[in-house]
Amino acid sequence: MARNRELILAFLAIVLIGGLYSAISLTSGTPRAGHLLGHSIGALGFVLMLATETLYSLRKRAMRRAFGRMSEWLQFHIFTGIVGPFLVLLHSAWSFRGLAGAVTLMMGIVVASGFIGRYIYTAVPRTPEGALLEAEELQRLIAEAEAELRQAAGKPHAPSGAVAPGVSLVLGRRPRDLLAAWRRWRSLRRLDPAARSAAAGVDRLQGRLAELRRQVASLAAARRLLATWHTIHIPLGMALFVAAFYHIGAGLYFVTFQR
Amino acid sequence: MKRPLGCLTGSGLLAGILTALVVTAAAIASSNRIFSPGPLRQTPGVRIGGIESHADLSADCAACHPPFWTGRRMGDLCLGCHQEVAAELEDPAQLHGGIAGPENCTICHLEHRGPTAALTDVGRFEFPHERFGFSLYAHQEELSHSPVGCRDCHTESLRSFQVRACAECHFTLDLAASGEHMLAFGPGCLECHDGQDSYGSDWDHNATAFPLLGAHNRIQCSRCHLGAHTLTALQSTPLRCVDCHRLDNPHSNLLGDDCGACHNPETWEDATLDHRLTGFALEESHAELECLDCHENRQWVGIPQACFGCHSDEDEHQGRFGQKCGFCHRPTSWSDWTFDHAVIGFTLEGSHAQVACEGCHTNRRWAGTPRDCFSCHADDDFHSGGFGTDCGACHRPTSWADWTFNHNRSSFPLTGAHASVACVSCHTGGGFRGTPSACAACHSEPAVHAGLFGTNCAACHSTSAWMPASYNGPHTFPMNHGGAGGNCRTCHPGSYGSYTCYACHDQGEITNKHSERFSDFSNCVACHASGQEGDGGED
Repeated sequence: MARNRELILAFLAIVLIGGLYSAISLTSGTPRAGHLLGHSIGALGFVLMLATETLYSLRKRAMRRAFGRMSEWLQFHIFTGIVGPFLVLLHSAWSFRGLAGAVTLMMGIVVASGFIGRYIYTAVPRTPEGALLEAEELQRLIAEAEAELRQAAGKPHAPSGAVAPGVSLVLGRRPRDLLAAWRRWRSLRRLDPAARSAAAGVDRLQGRLAELRRQVASLAAARRLLATWHTIHIPLGMALFVAAFYHIGAGLYFVTFQR
Repeated sequence: MKRPLGCLTGSGLLAGILTALVVTAAAIASSNRIFSPGPLRQTPGVRIGGIESHADLSADCAACHPPFWTGRRMGDLCLGCHQEVAAELEDPAQLHGGIAGPENCTICHLEHRGPTAALTDVGRFEFPHERFGFSLYAHQEELSHSPVGCRDCHTESLRSFQVRACAECHFTLDLAASGEHMLAFGPGCLECHDGQDSYGSDWDHNATAFPLLGAHNRIQCSRCHLGAHTLTALQSTPLRCVDCHRLDNPHSNLLGDDCGACHNPETWEDATLDHRLTGFALEESHAELECLDCHENRQWVGIPQACFGCHSDEDEHQGRFGQKCGFCHRPTSWSDWTFDHAVIGFTLEGSHAQVACEGCHTNRRWAGTPRDCFSCHADDDFHSGGFGTDCGACHRPTSWADWTFNHNRSSFPLTGAHASVACVSCHTGGGFRGTPSACAACHSEPAVHAGLFGTNCAACHSTSAWMPASYNGPHTFPMNHGGAGGNCRTCHPGSYGSYTCYACHDQGEITNKHSERFSDFSNCVACHASGQEGDGGED
């Protein structure tokens, strides 16, 4: 729960907002983008997107006047980065023509890019406060994990084969984790309950050790991927906001000032 | 090197600038069409200046959206094309008159909603429809319960109304009722209905001066509102029963026009006439009769109210008692009667009230029955005619024994002790008449003065008692001698024919005094005529 809290909260917010929107749509028709409710949804979504873009960046640069943990700001950044675009999507009233449609498309691209960025980001080992872990610290953690595993297993731990460093180690880690978890579950299933309980503890330590070894092996690749992602994601976001400001300006001009 | 804030990286700024350039270029190249929120309406309408629909202006945003530096509003451009609307603005009788202007066209008229979307949506504007004589109070929804739109009724033009639009909806709602209604009242819905007033769905006939009661609530409207096709005609529908039911009147106009006095609105049959209003209350057996028993041939007026008018054939008295049957008989039945005998001057009192009528009226002869006692009671005369035939002078009607005789009316008033003696003490032998009134006839002369005073008892005695008596006749000797005070017995203790002086005077002394000189001195008065001692002298 705590690991993906921002995603779960964002999902709940989307379900709640989507439910209200659906109820209104069924009773009164789809809220038009130019009407009060549609406008309000769009304005709120844009404010959340602005918050997504600015607040986390400000916190990252406010190291001397730190307010809150970086990981929590990142969670807030991800939450608003999901809910805000969802509100803007509802504001579109499912009409994707002209500049407004282009802005919506760009928003979708930026959001997808954000998900990819988070995936890469989580491959980089960090402290609970969000600080980066260096290779030396990771080696120390590996030694601790091995000692703990020897004590739990009652015999020396046979070191597994060396992990090959590379980009695939970062991007393909989740599928591999899922495959390994499935295999462990199958092997544990054959044991009696007492042996399964003892083996589960050893297995968990083995998993932790494997992850640390993978992080050490992929540390350089993960950092390189994250930098590359920043290079792509930031111009996309900038283009999105510029186009959005054009859209807002046109709306104010043609709808509000030019009655 | 200090990291830039957020997007303000070199690549970010470059992307922003490039995006701005691209959007600006696209806006210029498309004449701002990239900002269009949706396609314009494409449905052809009235051709104005070569333009059939707004979609023909899609390539020229400025045709409706004037640049801000020109100082013009969108509404100015609207009215520039739609001059027929501009002409209406000042005339309140027109569609846009008084409510619209160049500043508010877009409140009702929306664009960019699609090629076929409606241009007009008055949902955001409270259009004062009632000023055209028809309120939308009762027309908030159309058949599918969606908010009613202008075109739901104004199918051809917003500036005109075809009344068939009413029928199209209302026939769908209720074909039978609407058809009947239209047949009854005609197709001119607006002649009566204004959408809100009392002829809408809330209208209640019972709130009018003619509530629909009884059978009136079940008949077709046109039965009463025959040919009423306007509000004035509807409201002029007569309210009186007779105005509609004159032909239903079976009374041949004999009972007047106030049907409701007898009939109720439910049915003609269940009439409840308060017959008292006719002056002839239906009581007892009269109330059980059918109307036609009396009102033959439905003759409702002119029926005689006197009993004899209907019952002359039933008169057992053969007219002897006249025609006022009700004088004795009550309406329950002929046998239920009470005769007030007093009205003929002969009150049935006492035992007369207990006697059967035939006791006096033999052979049911009622008239000519004598009223004097003796005519009936001659055989009962205890006095054998001795007191005449005026029985009532003494007897009361209760019984023969209940009588009181006023003796003072006779030649011998009963005074004194006579009043308390029994009648038979004087009237011996049952005879009353001829009883002598002389005292001596009843009272024999007493021994004390037998043969002395004659039979004129009253000369000395009163009727109260024999004593005291007051003798005023000749008496040679002073009656108050020796203080006798008129007490006869002082000197006459045995009989008034003799006397003695020795009740007071000592006989021995008298004897001694007179014996020497007189041989007979028993008659004292002979010598002492005045009772004085010296009356006799020395001789």
